[in-house]
Amino acid sequence: MVPGIVFRSVLDHSLESLIHRLRGLCDNMEPETFLDHEMVFLLKGQQASPFVLRARRSMDRAGAPWHLRYLGQPEMGDKNRHALVRNCVDIATSENLTDFLMEMGFRMDHEFVARGHLFRKGIMKIVVYKIFRILTPGNTDNTEALSLSYLVELSVVAPAGQDVVSDDMRNFAEQLKPLVHLEKIDPKRLM
Amino acid sequence: MGVTCVSQMPVAEGKSVQQTVELLTRKLEMLGAEKQGTFCVDCETYHTAASTLGSQGQAGKLMYVMHNSEYPLSCFALFENGPCLVADTNFDVLMVKLKGFFQSAKASKIETRGTRYQYCDFLVKVEYGPCVVASDCWSLLLEFLQSFLGSHTPGAPAVFGNRHDAIYSPADTMVQYMELFNKIRKQQQVPVAGIR
Repeated sequence: MVPGIVFRSVLDHSLESLIHRLRGLCDNMEPETFLDHEMVFLLKGQQASPFVLRARRSMDRAGAPWHLRYLGQPEMGDKNRHALVRNCVDIATSENLTDFLMEMGFRMDHEFVARGHLFRKGIMKIVVYKIFRILTPGNTDNTEALSLSYLVELSVVAPAGQDVVSDDMRNFAEQLKPLVHLEKIDPKRLM
Repeated sequence: MGVTCVSQMPVAEGKSVQQTVELLTRKLEMLGAEKQGTFCVDCETYHTAASTLGSQGQAGKLMYVMHNSEYPLSCFALFENGPCLVADTNFDVLMVKLKGFFQSAKASKIETRGTRYQYCDFLVKVEYGPCVVASDCWSLLLEFLQSFLGSHTPGAPAVFGNRHDAIYSPADTMVQYMELFNKIRKQQQVPVAGIR
């Protein structure tokens, strides 16, 4: 499964306009809201870069499985592609995930809380969310917003080779202008 | 879901493994148990790769990744005396990505296959279906086991020991299998019939 992803941000005061437009464009009338706690774990070996896994749990849905995600390196191939493409593996797990990762030798690198709205259009997923820094490690009740913006992320998980997906993403992104200009992120800028 | 006791039965004297299994299945059929198909439990062993050990300075650990046909959409990953993670089958894909850090131990895959029988509330395996608290049904499980295992009836599994009133879960079954497979690996020279 290879996700295509584009993202940008909107300032807090533009959020309602964006939500209103997404309600009109997307499948679900009322967006789903979410409040998640994500922890990023690293496993260091003698390889140059550590192995990264992301563990995520819902803070507002009791009993929901935990979510473990592996994201590969961005594919540098086609510069004309409109979205960043990476290999991904998504796994639902039991709630002892963090204990298990520590037993495997992983160590937590950082954690954050994400709160926002989730929309869908076909196989595309649009997430508008704010990131909160956790002030005391492990205490998700004591957080502060990282910025005055919401992140906007448009992504698709699809089998490898389906480049037509990124054309659909570009067409959808056009409909969000001028509220937000979604574009592919240059992976080199992330390093 | 029920409470499960995984037991190993020694080969009957003067008989082969196959003959011992046939004796057991005949006893179950005489009791009135109904054949319900087959089951399979497999276990792959991984150890921490040398490259990871060097940087972390810790002793290598063995991690077991198991599957159970009773839970076809799940994968169980566990450490001996450690946590047991229940995950979906994409965990197997993740293990491929992790091959630089965890390597499959040579010739380590072990599996048990057999026939599944149902006798009233029992599935032989042996599982008592209506109950999910081990201490509440151990006496009943024991009585049932004695009816066809006789003197080979096992004691209470170790997983029951610390969790008298806790809800029994599939992970507890997989821990029993892991302990049984490790015992069988050590007994490699001795043929045994395992029953579930």
